Amino acid sequence: MVDENELWILSFYRTSEISGALFFGRLARTMKPGEIQRDMTKHFSDESMHAWYWTACIEKLGAHALKLEQSYQDQYLAAAGLPVNIMEVLAITQVFEKRVIGQYSLHSSLPGLDPEIQATLRKIMQDEKWHIEWIRDALKGLESDYGKERVETTLKRFGEADLEVYRKTTDEHTERLQELINGGRRR
Amino acid sequence: MIDPQAVKAKMGTFLKIPLERLQDNATLSDLVHESFLLVQLAIELQEEFNARLVQEDLKDVRTLHDLIHQVVTHEISADDE
Repeated sequence: MVDENELWILSFYRTSEISGALFFGRLARTMKPGEIQRDMTKHFSDESMHAWYWTACIEKLGAHALKLEQSYQDQYLAAAGLPVNIMEVLAITQVFEKRVIGQYSLHSSLPGLDPEIQATLRKIMQDEKWHIEWIRDALKGLESDYGKERVETTLKRFGEADLEVYRKTTDEHTERLQELINGGRRR
Repeated sequence: MIDPQAVKAKMGTFLKIPLERLQDNATLSDLVHESFLLVQLAIELQEEFNARLVQEDLKDVRTLHDLIHQVVTHEISADDE
């Protein structure tokens, strides 16, 4: 049976994946025909599947996902401000995806991790690597529209916001993860 | 040149608000209750009217009129394309 900390973290992952799916699903509908439209649609589809993977994983562990109000993305937007064009959306997403991979990677390295959680993390991390790749390529392509320097400064700005969010607003997350580490050591 | 009335009409369609109820001085926070929707609206307007906005352009935007003004004044010229 999943413990309270683990349930909260897995539910938080699920909520964040749902937020990502809803965001990209909407944007995919707005995009002009082309590669960004195609890759964004795939990205949206992946995020939806990830939300399902977490839902299924939690059920296999004998629980139901918690209903959480805030996702990681909400905290991001509050710190970085709203992106207003496709380049800024992709830049903030790139920074965010790197953070997600880092978080999932950290989680997957915890001692005594349930094999179901481990398998889910690994499956999702594979997709996340592709997300980083397609966005990196798309941002490269957008340099001709927005300028290389603007793309770089935007990435830098959102990178700083990411650090701020990670430092300030993930205290609860970190504490819960630490509990899992301690729990794993005790197992 | 971008027609401000066309931008307003597009916003009405997007937000599903009849044009006659869209007041120029209405605040965006009253019209758009969700931040993701505002991002989508900004991108939709740029795609539709071939405009290019960046975060700084919308920093001081408060009203419907402000947003229309930004879209109209940030049309991509043929030289930029």
